[in-house]
Amino acid sequence: MPCGVPFAPERASPRVAGVINLPENEIVPDLVGIEPVVLSQPNFWSRAGKSLLHDPVALCSVLFILLLVVVAVFAPWIAPYNPLREFANGLSEVGAPVAPNSHFLLGTDEAGRDVLSRLIFGARVSLLVGVVATALASTIGVLIGAVAGYVGGVTESVLMRFTDMVLSFPILLFCVALIAVTGPSTRNVVLVIAFAYWTYLARVVRGQVLSLKEREFVTAARTLGVGHFKIIFKHVMPHLMPTIIVYGTLGVATSILIEASLSFLGIGVPLPQASWGGMISEGQQYFQTAPWLLIAPGVALILTVLSINLAGDWLTDVLDATRREIGR
Amino acid sequence: MSKTATSLLEVRDLAVHFRVRKGLAASRAVKAVDGVSFDLMAGHTLGIAGESGSGKSTVARTLVRIVRPTGGTIAFDGAEVANLRGQPLKRYRRRMQMIYQDPYDSLDPRMSVLEVIGEALTVRGLPKNQHTGEVERLLGRVNLPVSVATRFPGQLSGGQRQRVSIARALAVNPEIIICDEAVAALDVSIRAQILNLLKDIQRDTGVGYLFISHDLSTLRFMAHRVAIMYVGRVVEYGTSEEVLTNPLHPYTKALIAAVPSVTSRGRLRLKLRGEPPDPGDPPSGCPFHPRCPEAIDECRRVRPDLVAVPGGQSVACHVVFRSRPSVQAPGWPA
Amino acid sequence: MLRRDAVVVVNRLSVAFPSRTGSGEVVRDLSFSVKAGQRVGLVGESGCGKSMTARAIMQLIPVPGRISGGEVYVGGDQNPASAASAKRWRGTTVAMITQDPLSSLNPLVRIGVQITEMLRYHGRLSRAQARTRAVELLNAVGIPNPKRTMRQFPNVLSGGMRQRVALAIAISCNPSLLIADEPTTALDVTIQAQVLDLLEQMTAEHNSAVLLITHDLGVVANFCEEILVMYAGRIVETGPTEHLLESPQHPYTVALLASVPSMTEEVPERLNSISGSPPVGGLDMRGCAFAPRCQLAQPKCLDIEPQLRELGDSARRVACHAAGEPSWPGRRTAEVVP
Repeated sequence: MPCGVPFAPERASPRVAGVINLPENEIVPDLVGIEPVVLSQPNFWSRAGKSLLHDPVALCSVLFILLLVVVAVFAPWIAPYNPLREFANGLSEVGAPVAPNSHFLLGTDEAGRDVLSRLIFGARVSLLVGVVATALASTIGVLIGAVAGYVGGVTESVLMRFTDMVLSFPILLFCVALIAVTGPSTRNVVLVIAFAYWTYLARVVRGQVLSLKEREFVTAARTLGVGHFKIIFKHVMPHLMPTIIVYGTLGVATSILIEASLSFLGIGVPLPQASWGGMISEGQQYFQTAPWLLIAPGVALILTVLSINLAGDWLTDVLDATRREIGR
Repeated sequence: MSKTATSLLEVRDLAVHFRVRKGLAASRAVKAVDGVSFDLMAGHTLGIAGESGSGKSTVARTLVRIVRPTGGTIAFDGAEVANLRGQPLKRYRRRMQMIYQDPYDSLDPRMSVLEVIGEALTVRGLPKNQHTGEVERLLGRVNLPVSVATRFPGQLSGGQRQRVSIARALAVNPEIIICDEAVAALDVSIRAQILNLLKDIQRDTGVGYLFISHDLSTLRFMAHRVAIMYVGRVVEYGTSEEVLTNPLHPYTKALIAAVPSVTSRGRLRLKLRGEPPDPGDPPSGCPFHPRCPEAIDECRRVRPDLVAVPGGQSVACHVVFRSRPSVQAPGWPA
Repeated sequence: MLRRDAVVVVNRLSVAFPSRTGSGEVVRDLSFSVKAGQRVGLVGESGCGKSMTARAIMQLIPVPGRISGGEVYVGGDQNPASAASAKRWRGTTVAMITQDPLSSLNPLVRIGVQITEMLRYHGRLSRAQARTRAVELLNAVGIPNPKRTMRQFPNVLSGGMRQRVALAIAISCNPSLLIADEPTTALDVTIQAQVLDLLEQMTAEHNSAVLLITHDLGVVANFCEEILVMYAGRIVETGPTEHLLESPQHPYTVALLASVPSMTEEVPERLNSISGSPPVGGLDMRGCAFAPRCQLAQPKCLDIEPQLRELGDSARRVACHAAGEPSWPGRRTAEVVP
């Protein structure tokens, strides 16, 4: 063995800051002398805030979404008029929609209703449908995906084949059939969208659960004797949250688009209730004479979906960074 | 070597076979563990050495029942545990814990150290309001300051994480801790700290270790007895003095010779040719014969059993049997 | 510093990554050279900067890192190496093999193609010539049935086999320097012995120098002629293998050697361990980086960073205030100091 080992057990050396003079071979905690570098706290909110300030596009998107939420929530107080009310002075002498003026900031539609008010209440419908449908789809999708991924075996095969079947089912037909039975309503729209969307989440979640199951900390929990349900809720679910949040955000955008499409086709939110898709549908025939009927809901739709997608992008990046800094 | 009254763990003829699909209809059996027997006495350390494909990690996972054994018996404190289910399995789990190789994956990155150890305390039955005190005590036991409790694994170094893993294992008061390559991924200077810590804990609490490692010098320091595994079987078994200082099996000799050592540099080393075989398709007879420099004809045909050499270790090698006519008929040494 | 017979000269090299805390330097003021045919070992634990040194030589530092100081001179070239000049000599003059050959070998391309592509790009061989040469190379590195291996994909091979293929590709163009970054860390011990032997044999045949980077002291003890010990981004001790292992001078080297369990000596009750952990790279430290863990530390050590200086004969260099000072407080009198 090499000589000249500088371990000096007996004599007392001057106490130097941070240096502990030990008897030979004593165990010392790792932290003595050198503090582990404290990586930035995995505080989501502070990191999210900072990254927003550096990304103007994401900032605008998030602000727009917040604006939309405010508008939707406070619609009755913000909208100038009742969206269903057909105004006498809303139509010209020949019965045509009136262009934007001081009374009706975005003009009126073919029934004399104020476009701006309808736009505002339409935001309500869009957001409501988007959020509720996505929440419903997420719950079903995550449940099925997690069970399939964790349990495996025959259960997994059955659930996944079922998912595939639903995935290949044409949602428009389903919607038409549903309406034929129960009549058109907003509730039906929510159900249809949830029915269509849960499959995507189920697949993604199953894949993630499959790989999470093999992580050593799950094995460690099983060795400890922690029950399966606890493992799923305490260990697996938290790691799924980033995926769920991202898919959820994008799901809202998709739902809004689907709702608009269904309403456009006439099998969504029934008239005379205001919805952006419905407004576009009605405004089709007036696109030359009263273009504001198309432009207003169209622009609103584009901006909303764009903002949600951009915000979803930003959210992905932030959550990814958080995940990387917390662990691996 | 006889079954002593203080054998806490007795494993006999343990077999773990996996079915691997080949194509649409066919499948073949991969015999990851193919007839392994050993004893672990309370408060002692049994080292299991082997390279990849030896089955040592599978043995570890089977003992904690993450993997189901296909055959053989595992007797823990007199009771058979290979087929436990439900509540008895839960009770058994608390008495046998494990520390893993990867310090970065064995702790949930989203849980603080307090929560990680707290989970084990909950399993033990300790109410939540008593967790903090106990966690502090356990952290002190592994020489970590209390301030670590509020941190997340991502803020700790590899050595610190392993200490947390050890604290978690200790939280349920196990009687045996399996260390599956527990120090392999750590820096050399940290390794010594952790090994010393493990020895301290054994001295203070009387816990037994099943220490799995490919590094023979670590085993020599840690283990009282050593089992050398090759392709799912034990080829040599005895006290670490016997096996590591006077190895009998050609594989053990090659393994020891292959360890590059600082102190015995330049020593003529036994070079082993070839690669460890695929456990799904092992050679006939003694699986080591294609690489063995001392192989004889019988090695190709007949699989050698683990037999005790009088006054020494147990070894599974025809060449050794041939050279010692006094070796008895095969069977687990009584 | 610019030696004609050196295949690579590293002069005051510093590598930095952008960092919020401190300078972010993971390699600081490194200077060493490797002569033709020499086998040099770069030893250190995780975070000491040894891998980054290898990448700096190859001009392959991952973004956002960069060389923040000093230069590298390759193959006797008078001009410092740069990313542009590296294209000429990477693979031909200096080749590298890494710890995980599955990342340096493309898993989607057959092995034969990967070798011949290298040969044709650098050697201007025809396809047939390259294929013949590739089979020769695979044979030389001990691959059984090279013709069949040519057609296989890397994931079919075992770790040891993959390293042999990586080695074959690396020496295919007769490099003057082979950098081996932890080449055997992920391999079984018996396979490790085979691969190290092969490395020795191949580099001797082609008279290539080897820079072996590892944390395993046993490996460098048996393979290298000269050892460089790194800690926290700096070289703290250098010297010929025999000499350095017989009488290490830097407290870190001493402690490291003392903490490895032995196969031959009496089994101790406890291992000698070093308190604390290796520092995370990139932090600014005043004074000696090892001082907080050092048994011999004095107040001076925390203020003034010791420079690498010669000790006795020029082959030995140590960066420690205590080295060569027999009267340093805390030293045992029985110490051997050159």
